[in-house]
Amino acid sequence: MAEEETYMFWIWAMASTIFRLFLIFFFPENINLSSRPELSTPLTSLRRLAEGYWLKQASLSPYAESMFHGSPLLLSILGPLTIQRIEGKSSHHLCSLVFVIADILSALLLRATGQKLQKAFRLNLKRLGLLTSLHDRGILPCGDIAALVYLWNPFTILSCVGSSTSPIENLAVIVSLYGAVTRRVPLAAFGLIMAIHLSLYSATLAIPLIFLLGYGLDAPPIKKFLQTRHAGVETTGSTSDVSKQDKLTQTTQLFSWRTVLHFVFWVLVWSSCVLVLCSLSLKQYGGLEEMFKRTNGFILRIEDLSPNIGVFWYFFAEVFDFSRNYLLIVFNLYILLTGIPPLAFRLKHRPCFLAFAYLAFSSILKSYPSVGDAALYLSLRALFVNELTDMEHSCFIFCGYIGFSLLSPVMHNIWIWRGTGNANFYFGNAMGYACFQFMFVEKSVNAMLNHDQALKKATAEMFKNSAITAIF
Amino acid sequence: MATVNRDNVEEVKTDDGSPKIKPRPIVRLGIFLIAHSPIFSVVFSAAGVLALLLLPLLAKNTYISENALMPGSARSMLSNQDVSDGSKLVNDIKNCRLNHEGQGVEVQKLIGKYMSDMGAEVSYQKFHPEGNQFHPLHFFSGPDSYTLLENVSCASYGVNVAGIIRAPRGDGKESIVLVTPYDFINGGDYESLSLGIVSSLFSLLSRVTWLSKDIIWLVADSRYGDYRPVAAWLNEYHSPSFKVSELLKCDELNTADNFRRAGTMAAALVLKVDGRSERFEDTLSIYAEASNGQMPNLDLINVVNYLAVHRQGFYVKVEKVVSLLSSSWLKIFGEIFEAVGKLAHTLNPDWNFGIPAADYLEGSATLASSLYSQALGIPTGPHGAFRDYQVDAITLKVSPRFPPDSKTRQHDFFLRGARLLEGTIRSVNNLLEKFHQSFFLYMLTSPSKFISVGVYMIAFALLVAPLPMVAASLYIDGCKALTNSTHNSAGNFKSWKWLDAAKQVFALHLLGFIVTLLPYFICQVPGQHSPRNRSIMWGTTSSSLLLITFVTIPGCSLFSSRPHGTNWAVLKSVTIAAAFIGLCLMSIINFATAEIGALLLVPTCLMAQPIKPALRSRRVKSLLGAFCSLVLVTIGFPVIFFAISKGLLGEGLGGLSLGGEFWIWLESLWAWKSATYLYIGMVHLPCWLLCLCILFHPS
Repeated sequence: MAEEETYMFWIWAMASTIFRLFLIFFFPENINLSSRPELSTPLTSLRRLAEGYWLKQASLSPYAESMFHGSPLLLSILGPLTIQRIEGKSSHHLCSLVFVIADILSALLLRATGQKLQKAFRLNLKRLGLLTSLHDRGILPCGDIAALVYLWNPFTILSCVGSSTSPIENLAVIVSLYGAVTRRVPLAAFGLIMAIHLSLYSATLAIPLIFLLGYGLDAPPIKKFLQTRHAGVETTGSTSDVSKQDKLTQTTQLFSWRTVLHFVFWVLVWSSCVLVLCSLSLKQYGGLEEMFKRTNGFILRIEDLSPNIGVFWYFFAEVFDFSRNYLLIVFNLYILLTGIPPLAFRLKHRPCFLAFAYLAFSSILKSYPSVGDAALYLSLRALFVNELTDMEHSCFIFCGYIGFSLLSPVMHNIWIWRGTGNANFYFGNAMGYACFQFMFVEKSVNAMLNHDQALKKATAEMFKNSAITAIF
Repeated sequence: MATVNRDNVEEVKTDDGSPKIKPRPIVRLGIFLIAHSPIFSVVFSAAGVLALLLLPLLAKNTYISENALMPGSARSMLSNQDVSDGSKLVNDIKNCRLNHEGQGVEVQKLIGKYMSDMGAEVSYQKFHPEGNQFHPLHFFSGPDSYTLLENVSCASYGVNVAGIIRAPRGDGKESIVLVTPYDFINGGDYESLSLGIVSSLFSLLSRVTWLSKDIIWLVADSRYGDYRPVAAWLNEYHSPSFKVSELLKCDELNTADNFRRAGTMAAALVLKVDGRSERFEDTLSIYAEASNGQMPNLDLINVVNYLAVHRQGFYVKVEKVVSLLSSSWLKIFGEIFEAVGKLAHTLNPDWNFGIPAADYLEGSATLASSLYSQALGIPTGPHGAFRDYQVDAITLKVSPRFPPDSKTRQHDFFLRGARLLEGTIRSVNNLLEKFHQSFFLYMLTSPSKFISVGVYMIAFALLVAPLPMVAASLYIDGCKALTNSTHNSAGNFKSWKWLDAAKQVFALHLLGFIVTLLPYFICQVPGQHSPRNRSIMWGTTSSSLLLITFVTIPGCSLFSSRPHGTNWAVLKSVTIAAAFIGLCLMSIINFATAEIGALLLVPTCLMAQPIKPALRSRRVKSLLGAFCSLVLVTIGFPVIFFAISKGLLGEGLGGLSLGGEFWIWLESLWAWKSATYLYIGMVHLPCWLLCLCILFHPS
């Protein structure tokens, strides 16, 4: 059974690779996916990267003329590929091959992460004594599912085929999660630094990674369960279960400061490495200061107001200049304060899920979001298929995602090409999409909390039963 | 849909016995609607159809929305001298064609000479009449995807002539285009009259001082149809090809490096003269529909209509479906509406919505034609080519009331036609920006009456409103049934039960997508095949693909007797959701297609129910329901619907010739990049197949 499943997994993974290659080489050129605002943002567009590379070749700063806003390291790696041509094909094909490899790597790492999480899930159920043979059979191979969701998600395929660098950003995020889950601290730190370097919003991942390294993998809040048990023990006055309790107390881990310090050390090492490399590559062109101004500053100051699927471009195209700075501060703080601390308090026992929630949250409120970000958090969500079996409104949200992602190019077309619509149409679509994303995150978090609640109820019930049997 | 679905979960919650909180009024309304969805779906659908019938009543009078246009405020400057210039050109063309027997490019040269005598810059353009090539993904790409054919021969090509008058007050960045399609080989006498009118106007415009936009006069070589030369010229204008075409060597006319441009186009007018008017006045027909139901700005039509009616005394009309004028049921509706309107007027003199039954008939015949040509997505004239470049354009077809050889009448006719164009150009010349003030989304019920998007969307919204309601209520039912049947096994996946049904829906939509692309590959099959054979090929491949889908994907099998397959209620719910998304998308791309599609698809989807239990129960009501759904599904099949609509138009068809006809019809759709084809293949066909699956569901 299990063998057959892995077999199927490899077949589907191979099929997705072939499908990508087919699309890369046989997709009609005149559709020009790389110019779609849904796929390539000013940060992730490969066309802009090629432009930056040309500027650099011409001994100009790659950041000149506000064309390129990505990382200089990515420029050094992908830049030479943008001018190499496979005979008779246009130049983006080599880069697309890199993206395909990145996608496959991400999927494999996701699968390994998922297997770890699945093991942890089973272990936790066993610890709580809830694992029956029935349940055991019902546990889904979440790693395989997440990897396949990542590989076959139309969003991933489109951003891979459509020449945007988001597959590489996603790979960095997944590497950091994988490193933390398998407790390879240097790898986790490397992934985090690369992710932050490529897109600033991944900095929020530092919190879940620290939790992950400090507390260990996702688990139900066992401490709380113990408290309810203690209460139960006092009322029934029984002490027969002491040994089991001890076992549980032992398993609840304390926050391991050592690993976290280790992590911080590696973060410092890697960040200094990245900074040194960047400053070397940009030595003649203004150095690090220029880089921070043109990448991170560009992200935070929302300078490019061309339409995208986010919600900020429209707003900042409308505001008066004198209130612009104030609103920039308000919006950036909004992301920082409303999203991050509450979720961290509520979900600190489930760091991987917290990472999902942060990524989803930041992909809604990003200044330049693309569907590649959605692809990442949707597949991370698939890691928790076991926990989130009864999410509310799943069908409705699914239909909403499909509807709005199909509507987006139509709205763009009637605004830009037909001239019968206007910016409000496209922005309305973006708002609807953001609403559905919010709903998705909210329902997922709700379902996770309900799952914990249900586990708590079940253990309390079981303990009550065992206490009663102990009395008699 | 948001409230509706939110509510169904709210309802489930209270069923589970969790503490009951009194829901908000809107939630309660949603629950109420879902609980009584059968009644409401009938009510809403009927209201949708009624609203469609009411549309001619709700039409408003057009008005000129952009103040800068000021039509008819300036006195016409056209003199008799200009008109006699035009008449001279017509005569010369006649003589030239007699002398040269329609060979070479003498007529083009003659027109070019006239233009340059008037002080215009003249350029010639050779183009190749492209065959109708189907490429599946051209639907999504812009207009600049005309590929240069590699092996062009000199056997067939056309030559366009374009003259440009530079505006004395302009900066050369904007222009107005006049197009006269003319068949240089076998154009009739009437056709050359259009050259005469525009030539008179051109002679005037070369002298005036008020022009601030350049004027382009394009004489399009229409021996291969009206549309193609205009499209070729526009393509060259907007995206010049730097390859040297083989066509240059075909004759002595050197067209290399002399293509002239004049900035962005503010508007374009296509003038055609054909046949004799059946009425006492000269008739002016306005054609406005471009590809995929796009319309030019309403202000352009308003200006032309205003000038033609109030200044030049033309009888203005737009296309209408003539057969509807004599239909008795529509007349009955018209009389009922008239009576209701009169009654309302007696109750309150302020209520003036009633219109006479005859007006209603006229309005609905025009509306039907408007709906039909928008739904087809095929442009009704050469103006369609302009819309691809976001230029507002209309075709004016003038029918004079005199025979072509009457000299005195011709002078008067030229004077009035040229004055109409002069007034229109003067209005457009006043504009500082593109047309934007008035409507782009509208339908005409007469040249001076229109229905705006806000009104006609109501009919569509009412028609599709039952879909989310019924989907929600079926979803709840189906989930309950599934929970009961699988209660004993692991009760996991409470909310993911729809996944099986979604898989099936997805598989059939994928199939629809493949079937949509198949004609591209069938066209690649070597050898000459008749349309009939091609349609047979298409039919057999599609049905074998369908069989493969049914066999390989376990959930999809039509006739399997597995008791625990997907629950039909959940399947129907997901189908309806898919149909709803598809129809809503289509309503934004092309409203008319979505409206007609909804008229077909909504009842089919709502009525579809497994017929096995109905046959088993032998109750009259359920048997009647099963019969209705069978009939609806039969009509819903695109080929059969095509045959029925052909039959209604009075062209009997049967058997295999039907397939050929259908193929030719589809070919015309994809030659014009009509989104209707995509709708049929990717929304209608899969939903129809799913309805079939539900109908024969083994429950």
